[in-house]
Amino acid sequence: MSAFFEVSSLGVRIGDTTIVNDINLDFREGEVTALLGHNGSGKSTLLKVLARQLSPAKGDVRLVGNRNHRTDAREFARTVGYLPQHPPGTDGLTVSELVALGRYPWRGPLGRYTPDDYACIDQAIADTGLTPFRHRSVDTLSGGERQRAWIAMLLAQQTQCLLLDEPISALDVKHQVETLRLVHRLAEERDLTVVVVLHDVDLAARFCDRLVALRGGRLIADGTPQEIMNSGTLESIYGVPMGVMERAPGQWVSYVH
Amino acid sequence: MYAESQVASAAPRLPGKLPLTATLLLLGALAASAAPWFLERDPVSVVSAFWSYDGGDYTSVLAHFSWAPRVSIALLIGCGLGLAGAVTQQVLGNPLASPTTLGVEAGGQFGVTLATLFAPALLAFSQDLVAVAGGLLAIGMVIALTWRLGFSPVTVILAGLVITFFMGALNMAFMLIKGEWLGNLFIWGAGSLVQNSWQPFMDLWPRVLILGAALVLLMRPLQLLQIGQASASSLGARVGLLRMLALFLVVLMSATVVSRVGVVAFVGLAAPVLARLLGARTLQERLIWSMLLGGGLLLLADTLAHWASSWGDGSLVPTGTTTALIGGPIILLALQGFKNTHHMPGQESNPGAFLPKRRSVLVTGAVLLCLLLATFFVSMGWSPGLQEWSWTPIADWGEAWVWRGPRLLAAILAGVCLGLAGSLIQRMTGNVMASPELLGISGGAALVMVLIVLTGTEIGRAGQLGAATLGAAGALGLLILLARRHRFAGNQLLLGGLALYVFMDSGLRLVMASGGTVAAKLLNWMYGATWLISETEALSLLGLTLVICLTLFVAIRPLTLLALGDTSASSLGLPVTRARLGLLILAAILTAAATVVIGPLSFVGLIAPHLARVLGQQTVGRQMIGSALAGGLLLALADYLSRIVIFPSQLPAGLLAALVGGIYFLWGLSRHGRA
Repeated sequence: MSAFFEVSSLGVRIGDTTIVNDINLDFREGEVTALLGHNGSGKSTLLKVLARQLSPAKGDVRLVGNRNHRTDAREFARTVGYLPQHPPGTDGLTVSELVALGRYPWRGPLGRYTPDDYACIDQAIADTGLTPFRHRSVDTLSGGERQRAWIAMLLAQQTQCLLLDEPISALDVKHQVETLRLVHRLAEERDLTVVVVLHDVDLAARFCDRLVALRGGRLIADGTPQEIMNSGTLESIYGVPMGVMERAPGQWVSYVH
Repeated sequence: MYAESQVASAAPRLPGKLPLTATLLLLGALAASAAPWFLERDPVSVVSAFWSYDGGDYTSVLAHFSWAPRVSIALLIGCGLGLAGAVTQQVLGNPLASPTTLGVEAGGQFGVTLATLFAPALLAFSQDLVAVAGGLLAIGMVIALTWRLGFSPVTVILAGLVITFFMGALNMAFMLIKGEWLGNLFIWGAGSLVQNSWQPFMDLWPRVLILGAALVLLMRPLQLLQIGQASASSLGARVGLLRMLALFLVVLMSATVVSRVGVVAFVGLAAPVLARLLGARTLQERLIWSMLLGGGLLLLADTLAHWASSWGDGSLVPTGTTTALIGGPIILLALQGFKNTHHMPGQESNPGAFLPKRRSVLVTGAVLLCLLLATFFVSMGWSPGLQEWSWTPIADWGEAWVWRGPRLLAAILAGVCLGLAGSLIQRMTGNVMASPELLGISGGAALVMVLIVLTGTEIGRAGQLGAATLGAAGALGLLILLARRHRFAGNQLLLGGLALYVFMDSGLRLVMASGGTVAAKLLNWMYGATWLISETEALSLLGLTLVICLTLFVAIRPLTLLALGDTSASSLGLPVTRARLGLLILAAILTAAATVVIGPLSFVGLIAPHLARVLGQQTVGRQMIGSALAGGLLLALADYLSRIVIFPSQLPAGLLAALVGGIYFLWGLSRHGRA
C-alpha cells in the first residue's frame, strides 16, 4: 500500500506554544487510522494540518501520487474531506440542502447539478439513515442526527480521503458503532483513506486498522491494534494505570485500575 | 445500517405570507405614492407619466419629470440596497449586518464631505470614486477592529456604530468649522430622493443592474459560508477571497447610491430582516425577497417623507428620516427571534487573549490622579489671552472659577460617571465594545431633547436637565421591558440600544434638515458644549456622583460573578435577574447625569474602561477606579482643549472627546488585534 499523506518533521505553533513537534508519519491509502491521545495532545491540530486548515511552522505534508498538497482549493476538496470537531449552526438549512453543498467541489460556483449529483446526495443521506429527516432543518435535529448530517455531507463530497475530528462524540452507543462501521465499510468498498480522531480506545481498536497516539505534540505510539492494546502502551498514552483484556480476537476491553 | 424511521417530513415550502406581504407592500406603496395624482388626473395618464407627458399640461409635466423618476429611483435603490444587505448578512453570518450598520454609508458620506471641502474637482470628476473610497475605509476599519474578536454579530455591529459615530463626529467638526460651505450637505446627507429629471435614474440603473448581477453570480459560493469557514474551505471555496469580493461589491453598491442621494439608512438592514422573519429560508429566497421588499420599503418610506413634506410647514423631510423610522421597529422585531449564539460561521468564538500585565492599583491610580490634578491646575491657570498666553495667579482663581471652574468640574464628573457606567456595562454584558453611548441610554436623553427643540418649546436649562433625565429613564424602561424576555442578557440590551439610536438619529436628521438656529443650538448640546453649565449644576452633579460611587461598592462582587455566566452565578447564590436590574439602573443614572453635560456622543464610556485594562487593572473594582479616573482625565483634557484650540471661539468638548477618543479606540483595538 502506498502512502496517501506523508508527514515529515512537522511542527505547529500557535502563538508561542508548540502544539505539534517533529512528527514523521505516513497515512497509507485505503487504511483507517485512529488518532488517539489525551486532551491537548495535538490530535486535532495534526488533523487540521492534513486538511490544510492550518499551515505548519516547520516541516511538510505531502499528498503522494500525482496529487499535490498545495493544489487548487476545489481540487483539494475533491480529494480530501474534513469534518471539524464543532460544526457550526447552519442557519435554517435542511438536511438535503446541507448534503447538497458537498457537491460544490465538483460543480463550482455556476455548474449545473446533474442527476448523478442528486443520486449521490440521496445515497449519502440513505447511508447515514437520515432519509426521514431529509427535509428537516439541521438546527432542529438532535446532536447525533446533526453529526450524521455532516458526515453525510462529507460522503456526498466523494473524496478519496476523510479526515474526521471526533465524529462520534455526540452519538449514543448504537450510532457510534453504526457510524464507525459505515466508515469502515466505505473505506473497504471505495478504498478510502480515513484518519479519525477518537477518544474511545476500545472502539478505535475494534474498527480501525491502525492506531496512532500523540502525547504533548509528539508521536509516542504507532501500530496495529494488536501492538497498541496492552497495558504498558495505553498507560504511556493516557498517563493513568490501565489494563486490557482481549475477550475475543480483535475485541479488546480496556479499563482503568 | 441505521434502521429507524419515525417521522418522515415533507419538503419545506415558501410560506405564503412572504409573497403576499411583498406584493401588498409594493402595490400599497405604489398606490399611496400615486394617490395624490389620481385626484387630479385619470388613471391612464398617471401610468403613462412614466414614458410620456403633455407639454401643455403642467401636472403632466410634473408627473413625468418629478413623480415618475422619484418612484423609479426609490424602487431601484431599494432593490439594490435590499440585495446588498442580504449578501452582507450572508457573508458575515450576521443577521444584523447591513451597509448601514457596518458604517459603509457613513463612510461614503464622509468621503463626499471631505471631497466637497478640499477637492471639489475630484467630486466633479467622479462622485462615486470618493464615496467608494470612504465606504471602503469604513468597512475596512470595522473588519480590522473585529478580526480578532471573532466577528461575533454584536461586536461587528458595535464596531460599525463606533465608526458611524466617529465619521459623524468628523463630519460635524467640519460643519462647525466650515459651516458656510456645508449647509446643503445636511439635506443631502439625510438622503433626499427628490427628482427633477430622469437623468439620475438613467445614470444609476445600469450600475445597480451590473452590481446586482455580479452579486447574484456569487450565490453558490456564498451558500457555502452558511456551514462555517472550516467546512466551506474544505469544500474548496476560497473563503477569504469570496468575502472580500462580496463585500467589495456591497460597498460599491451602497456607495454608488450614497453618492447620488445621500444616506438612505436601514433599508439594507430592514429588507433582509423582514424577509427572514416572513420565512425566506434559503439564500436564494432571501436574496430575491430582500430585493423586492427593499424596493417596497423604500418606496413606502419615500411616500411618507413626501407626504410629511407637503403636509408639514413646507420644510423638506428627507427620505433618510422616514427609513430610519421604519428601520427601528424592524430591528426590534428581529430582536424577538434573534438567537445570540451565532458567531461568524467557522470563526473560533474565543477572542485572542488580551491581558496586559497587571499593575498595582495604587500606583496606576496615583499616576492618573496626579495627571488629573495637573490638568486641573493648567486648565484653571494657563490660558491664552488676547495677546499672549499667561498664568492666572492663584490669588485670582476665585474670579477665574466663575468662568473656568464649573465647566471643568462638570466635565471631570461627567468623565467619572461615564467611566463607571462604561465599566459596569462592559462587565455586565461581557462585551468590551459595549458602552452607555451604544446602549442607547444617552440616545434616549438626546431623543427627548430633539423633540423639545422640534416642537419649539422653551423650558430653560433646568427643564432641559429634567427632560433629559426623563428620556434616559424612558430609554432604560423600554430596554428593561425588551430585555426581560432575555433575562437581561447583555447583548439583547445592546441591540435594543441600537434601535433607540436609530430613532434618535432619525429625529436628528429631521432637525438638521429644517436647519436654522435651532439646529445650531441642538448641535452644540449634542456635541457637549460644557460652557452651558452653571455652578449649582456642577455641585449637584458632584453630590450625585459621590452617592453613586458609594453604592458601587456593593456592586463589585455581583459583577465579578455575573461574568461567569448566568448558570454559574445563580448556582453560587446570586439572584441574577435582580442583580442585573439593579446594575442596569445604576448604569442608567450615571449615564443620564453625564449625558446632560457632555451630550450623547462622546466615546468616554467606551474608552475609559478599555484604558483601565490596558493600564493593568483587570479585576472589577480596580477597573472601575481606573476607568473613573481615566474618564475624568479625558474629559478634563477635552474641556481644556476645547477652550483653547480655536481661541477665542470654542469647540464643544464632547466633540473633541469623540474625535480623540475615536482615534484612540481605533489605535487600541488594532494594536491588540496584532498582539
